[in-house]
Amino acid sequence: MRIFWRDRFSLTFALIFPLVFAGAFTLAWEEDDEPPGVAPRLTVVAAGQQGFPEHLVAALNDSGWTADERSLEGALDALGQGDIGGFLLFPAGFGTAIPTGSEARIRVVVSGKDPAETATLEGIARALAGRAQTVMLAVRGARDLATVPDAEQVSAVSRLPPLVSLEVRRTGERRYNPIDFTLPGYLTMFVFFVAALGAGSIVLERETRTLERLVSSGVRAASILAGKFLVAAGKGITQLAVLWMVGVFALSIDLGASPGAVVVVSLLFALASAAFGIMLAAMVNTMRSASSIAMLASLTLAPLGGCWWPLFIAPDWLQAIGRLTPHAWANDAFNRLMVFGASASDVVPNMLTLVAFAVVFGAIALVRFRLSPPT
Amino acid sequence: METYLQAEALAKHFDGVAAVEDVSFVIHTKEIFGLLGPNGAGKTTTIRMLSTILAPDSGDVRIGGHSAVREGDEVRKRIGVCPQELALYPELSAFDNLVFFGRMNGLPGRAAKARARALLAETGLDDRGGEAVKKYSGGMKRRVNIAIALMNRPKLLFLDEPTVGIDPQSRNKIFETVLGLRDEGTTVLYTTHYMEEADRLCDRIGIMDRGRIIAVGTPAELKRQVGDPGKTTLEEVFLRLTGRSLRD
Repeated sequence: MRIFWRDRFSLTFALIFPLVFAGAFTLAWEEDDEPPGVAPRLTVVAAGQQGFPEHLVAALNDSGWTADERSLEGALDALGQGDIGGFLLFPAGFGTAIPTGSEARIRVVVSGKDPAETATLEGIARALAGRAQTVMLAVRGARDLATVPDAEQVSAVSRLPPLVSLEVRRTGERRYNPIDFTLPGYLTMFVFFVAALGAGSIVLERETRTLERLVSSGVRAASILAGKFLVAAGKGITQLAVLWMVGVFALSIDLGASPGAVVVVSLLFALASAAFGIMLAAMVNTMRSASSIAMLASLTLAPLGGCWWPLFIAPDWLQAIGRLTPHAWANDAFNRLMVFGASASDVVPNMLTLVAFAVVFGAIALVRFRLSPPT
Repeated sequence: METYLQAEALAKHFDGVAAVEDVSFVIHTKEIFGLLGPNGAGKTTTIRMLSTILAPDSGDVRIGGHSAVREGDEVRKRIGVCPQELALYPELSAFDNLVFFGRMNGLPGRAAKARARALLAETGLDDRGGEAVKKYSGGMKRRVNIAIALMNRPKLLFLDEPTVGIDPQSRNKIFETVLGLRDEGTTVLYTTHYMEEADRLCDRIGIMDRGRIIAVGTPAELKRQVGDPGKTTLEEVFLRLTGRSLRD
């Protein structure tokens, strides 16, 4: 560890590079200016009905939507051309059915191409139906009490908004901080990178017979292996501690609702990375091959594991390949915790998988580790 | 004379090739024993077996009455090993290197520091002991390499080509150190390619070739095998016994 602290290049590589990369890519993810507030659009076919549909449309507009009223033909035409994914249809008679307490239907017409849009329209329709149901119950109750409400009263009941409340997160809208996923990405990349490159120094010690000298001094081979693992893990944990602190205190990073889980995932990833470095040292014969494989592995596994871009925006096949890397499990856990508000229990599978990676890498290292260079 | 090291029929093979075959010899207490041989003769493999780093395929070594095969821990307490490679940490200072290996040898922190300071003075490095070893000359690094092997005050010191690639002053300092250790009671096993060095330092010499010991004796005894000891050099003995063919 003392050598690590004294080596300025190592410190720069381990601590400064991740911040520079994370900062640069955070800027790239951000937009120059706040985009104009474009409300989500909802196509409604109400056939010019007065009364309740009119109030529903007004309530939707008040809730942040832009209710786009069209004729049925126009809506079907737009649906057919793929301009819209679906629309809400208030059939003829809907407007008069509500005040009289008669049966009424809201129809959801969708192309089915976009499951998310279908689900959204269904949700809105159910919310509107629920509010209409309330109005109708009020009307029926009043009627049962022989008090027939007039149009003004019905209108007043139906105007008990908000009928629908909705929060939309749109790509490019500054509702999240891109550093929340760029910093964890580059942090995992560089923790793994430093651990993998550490294999070279172990191979060098083998080549210069320093490891043999330790054995002839009375140190057991298992102790040397454990020491190398702890030093590698210590470097990773130091990197993580420094970078998370910079992230929290200088870059306003949000660790989410379970910061403890972020810490646990970080520690497990540092252990898995350290075990990989020891495994690599155990498997190669020369320092040159150790450095080359460390470089190749780090630069290949980083993009596959979601270090350069969040895996949740990657295609399914890339996400599937990424699952073969410890990076992906760590980044997925960080994204869930820090971007999507998951709890610690949601990322337990990620934690267990990182433990499994560490155990497998460590077991291979234990079997293959040699103190002497090949003869 | 009391025997301190006894090698009995040592053998080691790598991938079916014999590196060392049926090697037996003894080293007496307070003796500098030279192990000479051309490249690939098996000297380093033999030293690695004697110093418990490498387990022999067959045979055994007794050092100070303990078997290197079965009582490795007891043997390691009694030996110091200086490999021909510079087995030290170049980013650390000489002092830190010495303290580190002293601690690995089981010395308490304060004792390790005191021993490190004493050895830096003995090897003429006390004024630059705080500098990173990577800034040292080749001779200074060689002296640190030897000093590390002395941290645990070994009864038996293995020196594997300790004077390769250094200037005459550093070589002379190493000679003085080795002779001083012998006078203080340390037994030394010394390998080198420099015949005049072996002639000057060693009480007895074993010559290895193709994995076997082919001759053992004092320098005078070995010279007598090929001619007049007063006129024959050790190099002539060496070439007569091992041949003139290249061993690259």
